[in-house]
Amino acid sequence: MSTVTVDGVEVEVAPGATVLEAARAAGRWVPTVCFDERQAPFGACRVCLVGIEGSPKPLPACTTPCREGMTIATEDATARRVAGAVVELVLSELPEAPAPHTELAQVAARLGVEETRWPGTVHQTDEDFRHPYLALRHELCISCGRCVRACDEVQGAFALTATGRGFEANITAGLDAGFEDSTCVSCGACADTCPTDAITEIRLLPQSTEEGWK
Amino acid sequence: MSQNLVELIRRHHQVQAPTALEVLKDAVEDHGEVTDSDRERAAELSGLPEAAVYGVSTFYDDLLAPRGARHVRVCTGTACFAASGDAHVDAVRAGLGLELGERSEDGSVSLAETVCLGFCHSSPAVRVGDAVDAGSGAIERAIAGESRAAPEPEWRSLLSEPVLTRPGDWSGLRRAMAELGPEALLAEVEAGEVRGRGGAGFPAGTKWRFAREAAGAEKFIVANGDEGDPGSYIDKYLMERAPELVLEGLALAGYAVGANHGFVLTRSEYPRSKPLLEAAIARARAAGLLGEDVLGSGFDFDVTVVEGAGSYVVGEETALLACLQGLRGTVSARPPFPAERGVHGQPTVVNNIETLANIPFLAARGAAAYRDLSPGSETAGSKLVCFNERFARPTVVEVPFGMTVRELCEQVAGGLRDGAAIKAVQIGGPLGGILPASRLDTRFDFDALAAEGCMVGHGSILAFDTATNMRDVARHLLRFGADESCGKCFPCRIGLRRAHEEFAGSEPVDRERFEALLEALELGSLCAHGGGMPAPLRSLLTHFPEELGLR
Amino acid sequence: MTTTCGYCGVGCRLETHVRGGRIASITPALDGPANLGHTCLKGRFAHGFTRSPDRLTTPLIREQGELRPASWGEALARVVAELERVKRDHGADAVAGLASSRATNEDCYAMQRLIRAAVGTNNIDNCSRVCHSPTSFAMRKSFGLSGATGSFSDIDHAEVALLLGVNPTQGHPVVGARIKQAALRGCKLITIDPRRIELADYGAIHLAPRPGTNAAVVLGLCHVVRRDGFVDEGFVAARTEGYDVLAELLESYDPAAVEEITGIPAAELEAAAHLYAEAGSASLLWGLGVTEHKYGSEVVQLLCNLAMMTGKVGKPGSALLPLRGQNNVQGSSDMGALPDTYTAYRSVEDEQVALSFEAEWGVPLSRHKGMKIPEMFDAAIAGELKAMYIFGEDVAQTDPDIAHVAAALEGLEFLVCQEIFLNETTNYADVVLPASAFLEKEGTFTNAERRFQVVEPALDPPGEAKTDFEIITTVSRALGHEMGWETPWDALDEIARLTPEYAGVSHERLGRGGLQWPVRADGSDSPTLYDTTFDRPGGRGHFAPLPYKPPGDAADEEFPLVLVTGRVLQHYNAGTMTRRTANADLVDRDLLEIHPVDAARLWIADGDRVSVRSRVGRTEIEARITERIEPGHVFTSFHFPETRTNLLIGQSADVNTSCPEYKVVAVDVRPIAEQPAFSPALGTTT
Repeated sequence: MSTVTVDGVEVEVAPGATVLEAARAAGRWVPTVCFDERQAPFGACRVCLVGIEGSPKPLPACTTPCREGMTIATEDATARRVAGAVVELVLSELPEAPAPHTELAQVAARLGVEETRWPGTVHQTDEDFRHPYLALRHELCISCGRCVRACDEVQGAFALTATGRGFEANITAGLDAGFEDSTCVSCGACADTCPTDAITEIRLLPQSTEEGWK
Repeated sequence: MSQNLVELIRRHHQVQAPTALEVLKDAVEDHGEVTDSDRERAAELSGLPEAAVYGVSTFYDDLLAPRGARHVRVCTGTACFAASGDAHVDAVRAGLGLELGERSEDGSVSLAETVCLGFCHSSPAVRVGDAVDAGSGAIERAIAGESRAAPEPEWRSLLSEPVLTRPGDWSGLRRAMAELGPEALLAEVEAGEVRGRGGAGFPAGTKWRFAREAAGAEKFIVANGDEGDPGSYIDKYLMERAPELVLEGLALAGYAVGANHGFVLTRSEYPRSKPLLEAAIARARAAGLLGEDVLGSGFDFDVTVVEGAGSYVVGEETALLACLQGLRGTVSARPPFPAERGVHGQPTVVNNIETLANIPFLAARGAAAYRDLSPGSETAGSKLVCFNERFARPTVVEVPFGMTVRELCEQVAGGLRDGAAIKAVQIGGPLGGILPASRLDTRFDFDALAAEGCMVGHGSILAFDTATNMRDVARHLLRFGADESCGKCFPCRIGLRRAHEEFAGSEPVDRERFEALLEALELGSLCAHGGGMPAPLRSLLTHFPEELGLR
Repeated sequence: MTTTCGYCGVGCRLETHVRGGRIASITPALDGPANLGHTCLKGRFAHGFTRSPDRLTTPLIREQGELRPASWGEALARVVAELERVKRDHGADAVAGLASSRATNEDCYAMQRLIRAAVGTNNIDNCSRVCHSPTSFAMRKSFGLSGATGSFSDIDHAEVALLLGVNPTQGHPVVGARIKQAALRGCKLITIDPRRIELADYGAIHLAPRPGTNAAVVLGLCHVVRRDGFVDEGFVAARTEGYDVLAELLESYDPAAVEEITGIPAAELEAAAHLYAEAGSASLLWGLGVTEHKYGSEVVQLLCNLAMMTGKVGKPGSALLPLRGQNNVQGSSDMGALPDTYTAYRSVEDEQVALSFEAEWGVPLSRHKGMKIPEMFDAAIAGELKAMYIFGEDVAQTDPDIAHVAAALEGLEFLVCQEIFLNETTNYADVVLPASAFLEKEGTFTNAERRFQVVEPALDPPGEAKTDFEIITTVSRALGHEMGWETPWDALDEIARLTPEYAGVSHERLGRGGLQWPVRADGSDSPTLYDTTFDRPGGRGHFAPLPYKPPGDAADEEFPLVLVTGRVLQHYNAGTMTRRTANADLVDRDLLEIHPVDAARLWIADGDRVSVRSRVGRTEIEARITERIEPGHVFTSFHFPETRTNLLIGQSADVNTSCPEYKVVAVDVRPIAEQPAFSPALGTTT
């Protein structure tokens, strides 16, 4: 076991624990977007930045291992400034504000991010409602990778993949022919983990009717 | 990197399966594009799930642009930009009547862009098939279908005895095996303070030590030949003119670390690198210098050459390992470092080609001799630098550390040709800082350049002349940066696009907002691509604020 | 609201989200001990059936051949009148009840109390009869307790896992996913199945024995373990009895002999045995591919032998995990909804136990064992069984030889069905009582890890439907036996009071994580069994020296292929619930899997409709050509009533428990012309 200090509070952590685990053990909030406790840390969103004594720049909590005696500041000014900027960037690529119940919206609200200083091109609308249960709205995808990793590390169906490169990056199922035409087993782990409802249950979409199953 | 996908690849690799990327590249070679049937076949042969194969097929440049019978690839790298702006690109588009990424209706010809062909000494460059034409008339010849292979200037060394610009003679490996043994060799490399030559400058000995001590059934050495930096053709020269030197370095690394297999990742933009390396490997095997029981030492070491498929970020070591295994070339968070978990999940050393080329001399003559190669500097060893077409004598030159940039530009490269004047110099690659003409007396060395917001990087010295508009340079660099972003981390994926959009039009750029964006990129990005892009932009903001059009 | 899934024996914990009286969505509970934040398409999405327009919302009474709506008063009065009449005229033993393995422990406990106390007979059984009853019998014989010896978490600690006759990625998807992840992390799988199941692609060794030869396979593995010096002598000496007799028997099961019987190459059998035996920890998993056979209960005992020989039981990573099919297969039998036992498998003939129940219930109880389901049908046809009360089981679709079942149901004087939908069985019902789905009731389920988990309702039953618990207790009251419970939790308290092995179980204690029995009075539970002693008199595990015997059916000239039946991922058993959700969009029919070589020989193309004929019946199914099955075998599921798969299954059943041999049926398969020639109605045979 090692001992680290989080915002002045000492906490004991198991060998191999990450700074994020230490922060949570200390009851401190660190914003995350691409993190899901059911999956291995990915390090894509860069929103979980925290200040670490001795490090010239803030470090991502989810992929940084704890070391004995580490001193962690979850609300380090630079870390929060950059994290907020990253959230602004993510909001700027979406065609509409994320629904209030989504993880992204909640992180943005808690960080106090409302608008973006850098508006620009947004994702094009590209909706896939072919599957009876799962809706995929590509325009809401922020390429956090959680769905791909859920399908890989939890279900093991490997039905999803990241596609494209750079700003055009997105995700799709199988050979881009929809969930049903892939190795998808419809377990819904992707919908469960998606922080923006890019993948969500089709019946939860505003345009679904209440008619019940026919 | 997905541990499960790496495990699936490892299991199939045991039955000599190709990687998914190899199958897809073959498909493009064969019929000019990738179809779903190709993807299914790639999945079946490689063990990679179909969805993952689809993702691979949408990541790499070589797999995306459709190919006609005659496939014309025009270089849009920084040296070609420094030579002609975008004029050469516009000319070939107009001449062929095609947009970039388009194939003619009858399939006879196609046009694509490529970055970079490594003919920065003779820009602009254009590739048709596997022949690279460059310099005056190259574009016209490409349009007319009369391309020919352009000549490449000889390299040279300023040292009394060339260390890097010579064919390898395997004397280092012989001495290491006969007199040193693996542990002593590793100690020499550590004592030699060899810093990585690919840009990060990380001590090679430290990396080798980690890998040697890591637990793993098998270990690997990977030579990073993915020299994607526009303006840089140093590794190209090493791989194509001194392949034995590179192989010797690889074998020495394997011997020190306890790895029996090496890979060289070459670029598809350098079509001659792979065949020339493979020919050298065949010769080495025949001479007992590679393969089983090298030089009768009982140590086995063999090398496989793998060619990339068009992605700049694959030069980053974790992205490189992904590409090597046939996955999308995206960057992975570290830890775990490749020395702990790399190819097939096993301990792997990734070293730049030039770094490995330094090792034979060190093994043959010892750490002290190696450290003394640059008497005017604290830095050990020598450095290869290369110059772009604007200079009078552009080529690869071996220099000691510690000379000033001015000396390199004026004495070594002969200044700019046709009496032109240097406006600014970008050193080390597109993520390197830019030195204005007034600062050329800076010493070419790690700390000195860092103090100016610049870097040694890969060693390219790229001059912009006074006719170049620096706002165009900013836009060019940001377009490159945004295009090549792997797309994984948010700051780079979105931030570079936004940064490019700021400079894409002619509106003034809000300085404060832009600086905040640069901060997010520098401090937030997952790797040195997004993290490094602010450096040259800050140089431009500092030294050319009016030209950038700021508010 | 957090509840436990009502589909399969994994027992995922689910969060139900209700809006405006309907279920808006269901998500997996992050802290579910069996599912850890994951679930499958059934638990997650297939809940729409709860408000299907087909739902039964009023009681129904049959008049002039048709079922018509009735009030509860009328329906209950009819049920009581009929049951009392039959009791009076023919005796209590002329009545039988069937409890549902899909219902809660409290529902099943109430049902067995109704049949035993209110009616007065031990003729109570449940549908685990047709799936895992052999497991129950065998494990009690070999080790003492009827359930997994460890937990699902043992999969994460096993160096090797041997899967026999089970296809977890289809039937227990969340556990299947867990096994797959373990395999990718380095756990070596040995898969043994006539079909190349999906997990075989991630495993180290796959063996494909002829259907019905499992016993020979396991005896062969034991032979190699012994021959090559892998027996854990210390464990055998200290913890078991009967090894010497087994050792003698094993002599004749050398790999060559086993190859003759099973078709498995000797070298592969040896490799599998070594892999299992050399591992530091190794678990055994099996399913209905072991139990639904004539000698299923013997094969389970042989598996217990293998574990005991190598000392791989009672330790982390070395567990025996029968993957029980339904959500409450474990619990329905634990609760004594069985003709020969009370709760915790204590015999009805055990004086002490009977007395304790008599004291609690205040009525005398029969000491004679009652009828198992197949015996009930035989008795109905013979005219000895007159009335049945069936809840939550569609015997006319899912039991074997459905022509025989139809005849039995027709032969009854009175049949009451308690259901959520009309089904094949209700075609024969005189009264139908509208009941509740798992999302509409409270109580507990016990999953395949012996874990009691809480069930909380998200909805009320629709219309005038009531919870099963309320219906059963009301019927009992009307029959003159007041159970005295207000809620199912009161029933659970009674169960705990009367059952030492569940003594510490209570609603409060179960909380979010549940408890694995045995649960001691202080509330401590049992993730791992048998770490120091087995639960048999003397504390030793019992080696069963059982030789291989051929299955009840075999291919011959007239019926040259062997049919194996089973499930697919998207549907559950009779498909009653899943067919009424969009899962039916994903998979809308049963398919007959056939190998390309057989298909070519029979002139069958992919998608052709084929006739499948066995010794007892005939049906038609669409063909699907695949290489996952071995030549000589075909496979189909039974999710769609129109397929009538179980028409093909004969009377062959497990020798000890009567679990039907669904997995070995000799059939003739051939393509048919476009018009089906003749489709007989059921129940017209005499």
